[in-house]
Amino acid sequence: MKTQLLICCGSGGVGKTTVSAGIAIKAARDGQRVCVLTIDPARRLADSLGVAGLGNVASPVPVPGATGQLFALMLDARAVFDDLVRRFAPSPLAAERILANRYYRFASSRLGGSHEYMAMEKLLELAQSGQYDTIVLDTPPTRNALDFLRAPERMSGLMDQGVLRWLVMPASHGGWRALELGSEALAGVLKKMMGRETVEEISEFFDAFRDLWDGFRDRSAEVQATLRGPLCRFYLVSSPAAASQAEALFFLDVLRERKLPFGGFIVNRVVPAPQARESEVAVPASAGLPEAVQAALRATLRQRAALAADHARSIAHLRAVGPADAPLWVLPDQERDLHDVERLLTLADYLP
Amino acid sequence: MSLLDRRILLVTGKGGVGKSTVCAALGLAAAAAGQKTLIAEVAGNTRMAEVFGLRSLGYEPTALARNLYGLSITPEAAIEDYVVQTIKVRTLFKLAFQNRVMGPFMDAVPGLHDAVQLGKIFDLERDRSALGRRSWDLIIVDAPATGHGLTMLSAPRSMMELTRGGPIFEGVRQVHDIIDDPRITAILLVALAEDMPVNETIELWGRLGPSQASVALCVCNEMSATPIPDEALWQATTALRGGERALDEAIELTRGARERALRQQHNRQRLQSALPIPTTELPLRPSRQLSLDELLSMGQTLLKAGGAA
Repeated sequence: MKTQLLICCGSGGVGKTTVSAGIAIKAARDGQRVCVLTIDPARRLADSLGVAGLGNVASPVPVPGATGQLFALMLDARAVFDDLVRRFAPSPLAAERILANRYYRFASSRLGGSHEYMAMEKLLELAQSGQYDTIVLDTPPTRNALDFLRAPERMSGLMDQGVLRWLVMPASHGGWRALELGSEALAGVLKKMMGRETVEEISEFFDAFRDLWDGFRDRSAEVQATLRGPLCRFYLVSSPAAASQAEALFFLDVLRERKLPFGGFIVNRVVPAPQARESEVAVPASAGLPEAVQAALRATLRQRAALAADHARSIAHLRAVGPADAPLWVLPDQERDLHDVERLLTLADYLP
Repeated sequence: MSLLDRRILLVTGKGGVGKSTVCAALGLAAAAAGQKTLIAEVAGNTRMAEVFGLRSLGYEPTALARNLYGLSITPEAAIEDYVVQTIKVRTLFKLAFQNRVMGPFMDAVPGLHDAVQLGKIFDLERDRSALGRRSWDLIIVDAPATGHGLTMLSAPRSMMELTRGGPIFEGVRQVHDIIDDPRITAILLVALAEDMPVNETIELWGRLGPSQASVALCVCNEMSATPIPDEALWQATTALRGGERALDEAIELTRGARERALRQQHNRQRLQSALPIPTTELPLRPSRQLSLDELLSMGQTLLKAGGAA
C-alpha cells in the first residue's frame, strides 16, 4: 500500500492540532485508513480528539459514519529510541549496554531534537508498515518544526565518525590528530566544564553506540528521501494574525530551500463578514427595551465587521506574497473549541 | 510580597497566548516604578524588538524605553559566554567551538542549551557595578512556550542529575536554587480562558514540582466583555428574533459573543479553583500593536494583581 504523508506545520496557538485531527477524520470519513501522529509534548491531540490518553501504539478512534478507519498515536520518544537501539545493535548484550548507560537514559528523552528525530523515525516506520493510506503528522510550533527538519542532519552529524574518534580514542592512539586542532586542549575544556566523570560517561556512550551508527545514518537518509517523495505534502497552518502568517511564510522559505513539497496554506479561525450593516440594526420602539440594547447589538456587529475586514486583508496578503498557484483553505472561526470527533467532522468541507 | 520585590520574573504559558505582550507590559510598568529593568528573550522568541519599534535585539542589552532594556539570549551566544568565562581564553573557544565536531557534541548534551540560557540570566542577576551596585533591579524573562518552557525550567535539575559534580554542576545548582526561591523568582503563567489552554495550564502547574513555590500569578489574557450582561434584558432581546434580517443577525452574533464570554468566565473559574495562586485577567484588545502607553497601563494592572501574592 502506498502511504500518503501529510505534515502540518505552524506557529503556536493556531490550532494546528485541531487541523491535523480534522484532516485525518475527513480522510477516515471518506474511506481511508488513517493514522494521526503527534510529537507535541503538550498532549493536545488527545484533547482534540476527546480521548483520555494516547500511547506509543496507534489506538483506534471511532468516527461516526466513516467508511474508513482512524487511528491516533502520541509519540513517546524514549520508547521509539529504545526500539531503534534494539533493532540496530549487533547483539542483545550490546543493546543492553547502551540502554543501561546513564547518559543514554538522559539523552534519549531530552536530547535536543530527539523528539523530532523520533517522530520522523516513527513516521517512516508507519509509512513502511503499509497499514495506512494516509498518515497525518502534527508537528510542534514552527521554530521546533525547523528542528524537526534538521533532526536527521543533526543526528548524523552527531554520529559522525569524527566525533567518535575524537571522544573515544585516547590521544596516544592518534585519533585526535586527525582533527589538526589542539584536541587535548579541547578535551580539557570539556572536562573542565562538565567534570571528568560526565565526559567519560558520554564517551562510553558514544563508544557503545558506534555499531549502531550506520543503521541510524541509513535511516536518516531514508527519512529525508521520504519527505521529498511524491507522496508527501507539507501544509502551513496559520491564524489570520500577522505574526503567525509571518511564521508560515518563513517556513515556506525553509521548504523551498530544502526542496520539500509544499501542499498549501490553511488559515484557521477566520471570521466571516456579517451580512448586515450596523445602521440597519434597529430595535423597534414597541419592544420597550432600553436604548443600550440597540447600542450593544450595533457594537457587536461593528466589532465583528472590523475583525472580518482584518482577516480578509490578512488572507489577501498571504495570497499576494505566497506562490501564485498555492492552494489555500480558510477555516471559519468556531464559536468554541472543537474537541470531539463529531464536531471536528463539521470542519471537513474546509480542509484538504 | 509584590512582584517588584523579586529579582526575576519568568513568564511562561502556551504558544500564542501573549507572553511577549505581558513581558513588555510588566517591563514598562516596573521601569516606570523606578526599577532598572531588563527584558530577556530566550529560545528564539523574537517579538520584543517589534513592540518597541526596533529591528532586532542582540546579546548586549539595548535601551527600549526610559529605565528599560532588552536583550535576546540564544543558546549559541550563551554557550560561548559560558565557556569563555570558564576557560578564560576566547581564542581557545574559537578553536574548540567552531570545530565541526563540537557543535553536534554541544547539541547532544541534554539540557545544556536551556541551562546555559538560564545561567546567563543568573549572571545578569548577579551583575554588579564597580561600586557594588546592582546592574539590574528586575529581570523579566520571556520564556519559551509550555512544552519547551517546562523543559527549560527543569533543565538545571536534568543537568544536575547528569553531571553530579564539577563546575557545571555548581553553576546549575545555583541557577536551580534561584528558580525555586520565591523570594528571588516569580513565575507568571499566561493562559487563554479557553478549554484546552486551561487544561494545559493546569497540567503545566502539576509538572512544575518544587518550582510551584515560585509561581506568583496566573494571567487570563484576552478576556472578552459580556454584551448585554443582564440576563432578563438579554431574554427580552432574544424575543425580537424572527423579525428584521439585520436585527436577527446582530442578535445571533451577540449570542455567540455572550456565550464565548461566559465560557471564558467559566474557564477562568476552573483555573482559579485548580491553582492555589492568585488569578487575574486582561481584556481582549484590538489585533494591532498596542501603544507603549496602553502596555504601561496593562503592566500596572498586572503589578497590582501580583501585589497581593
